Amino acid sequence: MNTYFIKESDFNNFIDNMLLQLPVIAPVLSSESVESFFSFEFLKNHDELRLDYDITILPPKKAFFPPRQVIIEFSHGKFHGTVNAKKQVLLGVHPYDIKAIDQTDFLFTENYEDINYTAYRNATTLVCSNIQTISKRAFWGSISHDVPARGHDAFLTKLTDLNEAEEEGYLFEVFNEKGHELLSFGQFLLATELQIQQAKSINESIKDKCPQQLNYSQDEMANTICRSFNNTALWDELAQDCFSCGSCNTTCPTCYCFNVEDSWNIDQQSGQRTRYWDSCMTEDFAKISSADGQSENFRKTTAARMRHRIMRKMVYLNDKLGTQACVGCGRCSIACTADIADPVNIIKRIMEEAANDSL
Amino acid sequence: MANNKAKVAFFDFASCEGCQIELTNYGDKDFLELLQHIEIVEFREAMSEKTSDPIDIACIEGSYTRQADCQRLLDIRCRAKVVISYGQCAGTAGINALKNHQADYQSFVYDRDAGMPHLDSDNAKPISSIIKVDYQVPGCPVNRYEFLDIISHLLHGKEPVIPNYPVCVECKRNETICRFLAGDHCMGMVTRAGCGAPCPADGIPCEGCRGFVDNPNQYALSKVLHEKGGLSLHRAESKSLLFNANERDNANKESEID
Repeated sequence: MNTYFIKESDFNNFIDNMLLQLPVIAPVLSSESVESFFSFEFLKNHDELRLDYDITILPPKKAFFPPRQVIIEFSHGKFHGTVNAKKQVLLGVHPYDIKAIDQTDFLFTENYEDINYTAYRNATTLVCSNIQTISKRAFWGSISHDVPARGHDAFLTKLTDLNEAEEEGYLFEVFNEKGHELLSFGQFLLATELQIQQAKSINESIKDKCPQQLNYSQDEMANTICRSFNNTALWDELAQDCFSCGSCNTTCPTCYCFNVEDSWNIDQQSGQRTRYWDSCMTEDFAKISSADGQSENFRKTTAARMRHRIMRKMVYLNDKLGTQACVGCGRCSIACTADIADPVNIIKRIMEEAANDSL
Repeated sequence: MANNKAKVAFFDFASCEGCQIELTNYGDKDFLELLQHIEIVEFREAMSEKTSDPIDIACIEGSYTRQADCQRLLDIRCRAKVVISYGQCAGTAGINALKNHQADYQSFVYDRDAGMPHLDSDNAKPISSIIKVDYQVPGCPVNRYEFLDIISHLLHGKEPVIPNYPVCVECKRNETICRFLAGDHCMGMVTRAGCGAPCPADGIPCEGCRGFVDNPNQYALSKVLHEKGGLSLHRAESKSLLFNANERDNANKESEID
């Protein structure tokens, strides 16, 4: 597939033409209070689009796997599935979130295909965009950094720092037929070799600019964290201020656990089955029923849940995914009111403790 | 219970009865639809009849505040298959428990009537301090749709699901900006979800009106309210008194149980 260029002056038309034909989900300004907050929403017009966003509150997986999703409606003993995926474009997804979507793509199809996810995923054209603004808690430059972003259909890079003679605009790489279809909405030119090189250098050079770093290899981290499993004092310390509020999980792009609940309408004959994002940091996540109406919680303490979260992200899923289940977006660090969720701080603490122990 | 209409009765103790009024806010159509499935046999907000017969579901609003009410509670329990504490006053004594640590509240609240004998009362306690409670509808006031969900589960012979996760989960599902990130404070981290987190969505902090989750981290609550929420140390420590005086680590647990 080819690589194209669209002039800055043609870009708004491209977005508006696309909006005439397809729903487009893209980053928009959600609120401006102390600072700017962004979220992925259905775009109304090109003015709303904020490709200069730093991070969104929730990850873009919500386009295929919404926080609340009615999956079945029932009435008078009959039921029908409510999956009704229509063609849509998810545009402006940063590379770290593309990596996370690649993970959920795998996890929702391994062994058993979750059609509630794949129906929406398959109906979506996924357009990655380069990171123009770096979130203050980001560390994607040093985690999962050797894993290529893949699974997207096109990649949009805003060309900056150009000479006067060069035209402002975006490089648009197309990887497959889905990406190719978008070309009909705009005035695309074939990109020059110079433009391709400029985009490459923009996307390469940003990798070193994250405010936080983890300078360990994947194996080093996995092995040391795994060996720290029984360091109870350490996990107690890390979880001391934890509210079990689940904010770290519910903002995480790689988390994929959900709960399913049925509810009845007031007529007591009809109702719906809804699935919700769940969170293993909440107290009752691992609570199961046992005989005689009793229950058993196999992760009773905040420390046990904190340990489980870190093990899931850094150890347990590595073999399946070929990488950690963490892409360094920093959403959990921002969302944690007690500021104890930041994987950079946690991993550094574990690594330092292990280094001291081995002295 | 599924085939015959369940007999439901409402009773009130120390409360504003706002939770019962909330039920009438379904509007005519929905309220009458609900009556297709339950038979309300006592509900003084909307009918004058009372009952001394057995009941399927007793919804009790209000706190237990005086010994004279003990027998009435026991009588309701004896007649009811299921007892629901309806609203936060019944569940934890909610806002009523504010008086439990204030010796001089009477003169502030009742002014020159403070000495009237009928205004005298003991510490506010949850009704569970006197009788066994099967289910709780949290909230000040209750969310009528949550109540409907609980009643629906009971009508269908299912166990009602009351979240034991905090409001933060619902704020995230709503993609609401955290009050702390907006330069504010909040009690959502320790407060039982199920309300749908409307307050932070409207830009105001959660005050904890639904009570704590089962195991709130109260140590971290004071710390975060002070360090991140900008409240004074004293304010950060006393903040949860408003709706959770009886649930706090330092609450006088003896007075709760008697």
